[in-house]
Amino acid sequence: MRNQTFVTRRAPSSSFVRGRNTVRVNKRSLGSISQIVIVSMLTLAFGLIYVAEGTKATSFDYEISAVESEISDLAARRDDLAVEKARLTSVAAAKNSTVAAVMEDATVTGYAAD
Amino acid sequence: MQRIKTLKKVVLVVFAIIAVRLFFIQIIEHDAWVARADETHTLLETIVAERGEIYMMDAGEPVPVVLNQTVYSVVIDPAVTNREKITDALNKYAKDNISADLDWVFSREGLRYYVVAKNVSHTNASKIAEEGINGVWFKESNQRFYPEGKMASGLLGFVNADGLGQYGVEGSMNHLLAGKNGLLKTISDINNVALSIGNDNVKIAAEDGKDVVLSVDRGLEQRVEELASATVNKTVATHASVLVLEAETNEVLAMANLPNYDPGNYGYVKDASAYTNYVTQVPYEPASVCKSFAFSAAINEGAMNSNTTYFNEHYTTVDGWKIQNASKRASLYGTIDMKKAFYWSLNTASIQALRLLGGDPTSINQAGREKLYDYYYNKFRLGQATGIGLLEAASSIPDPNEGYGRNSTYANMTFGQNLNITMIQTATAFSAVVNGGYYRSPSILKGTLENSKIVPVDSEKTEEQILSFETSATMRDMLINNHYTYTRPGYDIGGKSGTAQMIIDGAYDATMENTVASYAGFVAASGEMPSYVIMVKMWNDTGAYLAGSDAMLLFDDIANYLIDYFQIKPGVV
Repeated sequence: MRNQTFVTRRAPSSSFVRGRNTVRVNKRSLGSISQIVIVSMLTLAFGLIYVAEGTKATSFDYEISAVESEISDLAARRDDLAVEKARLTSVAAAKNSTVAAVMEDATVTGYAAD
Repeated sequence: MQRIKTLKKVVLVVFAIIAVRLFFIQIIEHDAWVARADETHTLLETIVAERGEIYMMDAGEPVPVVLNQTVYSVVIDPAVTNREKITDALNKYAKDNISADLDWVFSREGLRYYVVAKNVSHTNASKIAEEGINGVWFKESNQRFYPEGKMASGLLGFVNADGLGQYGVEGSMNHLLAGKNGLLKTISDINNVALSIGNDNVKIAAEDGKDVVLSVDRGLEQRVEELASATVNKTVATHASVLVLEAETNEVLAMANLPNYDPGNYGYVKDASAYTNYVTQVPYEPASVCKSFAFSAAINEGAMNSNTTYFNEHYTTVDGWKIQNASKRASLYGTIDMKKAFYWSLNTASIQALRLLGGDPTSINQAGREKLYDYYYNKFRLGQATGIGLLEAASSIPDPNEGYGRNSTYANMTFGQNLNITMIQTATAFSAVVNGGYYRSPSILKGTLENSKIVPVDSEKTEEQILSFETSATMRDMLINNHYTYTRPGYDIGGKSGTAQMIIDGAYDATMENTVASYAGFVAASGEMPSYVIMVKMWNDTGAYLAGSDAMLLFDDIANYLIDYFQIKPGVV
């Protein structure tokens, strides 16, 4: 509860008017040390928020770096698989395969223009 | 008290020195220190665009013939690495990639860095890494992989150590394949991880190269090279080039140059001429193959037909030069028709065609030269780049009115000498002779592969009817009549051979001991338009006699194979 001092006084009769408030409020201000402490704490709080946000952004950078590394890794694996597929389906591989070795020579059974 | 005063002075002096130094660092040397800081914390690297891959066609589907592969070099620190463990791991996962003598590496004192294996695949490099051996690390790089090995190496070219396409498709289509590198400039931490803090970060994404699809048929290319290799081994030839065109479109279905080289190890090639695509890059004299063009011109102009006769004396004289026939059979002496003369490939007949082109059966004149030039250069486009999209050599057709000995030069041109033209120009012109008279630009790039679909690439194409349909039909008939070695019921196979003298010390070698053999021909179902045009060239790089008939044998093998491979339905016999 805020402390307030109420001072009633009789105003000069010439200025006293019925229905007008004659109460004066005196506000108590903070001392200079309190102000310094509060400002310092606010500055500290903002500083902490800034540092926290900065750290958060940097932690995202590390996550991005990890994801990019994983993408690169997967791309290399994909290339490896594509190379292996191409190797296995190459004409030379097909020709030298054990399956090809037991196949009979082809005979013409139909024509492209049929 | 005195001591305290002295201490104060000392402290003041120290602070003054620090203040002055800080002033220098922060104010006077500000820019230099900022630059040093940037150098330490800024990550500046090129984002390398992935090079496009190269595809050929197989059963209507694109199949890769040049791919990218991420590979690794295995590096060790011999002072730290466990010898037995790394030896076991390498033998287990990368035996074929070991590039160093491990005994030697571990016997060297003070050696702290050595590459012990190269081109290790990602899968195998990962397995080695999983072994957790100390002092082992991996250096990543990219390389091209060729699943078909040496096949079509002269056509495909290779990529050099700087990532630039050289020769063949790699060189001529580098603008499509290379893509565009990107750039990353950012603050980084001690591990070189890019951080988003800072105001000057730049990231420009790389644009990967396009995958290109060639019209070349992989299975046909492989077989054509096998057949060419077998023929080279049977003859004195050391080299052979073969071109197969789809006659209606002039799409390239096979383009072979033997001997091949391994594009994955291009550095081991001793003679750089092995990189050459002789089909497009080397102009030469196709010899009597060109009689097809001289005869076509004269027939198309109405100056003669296949029954036109002239008197053959086995030689004729032009500008004082005696030009002889290769064949001097007694039965050919006298009045002979053009069809028979074409069959025997008589030089006197093609020279007579030139005379008839000029309207004077007794001599070559300016009108004849100009007409032949018009057909050769403007209509058949001999001596002009075809625009196929591969590296093409400059070539030439002599001017009809400038220079010494024009008549003899043009007489020689009728049988394919005194001009310099490439195989691709010759085959494209030959296609026009037999396909109904249409000159169509040859092409080898079917398009780029995007989302598994072939997207055509815009390019300038020429299509012009340069010979009448009747002229083309007459020429087909004469060319079929020419082809005596191989017949197959239901099919029309025709062509023209050429045996070119080589130029030695600036003059034609009259001994005929050093020749280049050529053959241009077509395959069709009987009574129908040609399906395929084939051109063969064979030679010995140190000089030897090879006749056009040698090239014809290879042509026959390929023609026979094409009929079965593409299942051409036989026509009415």
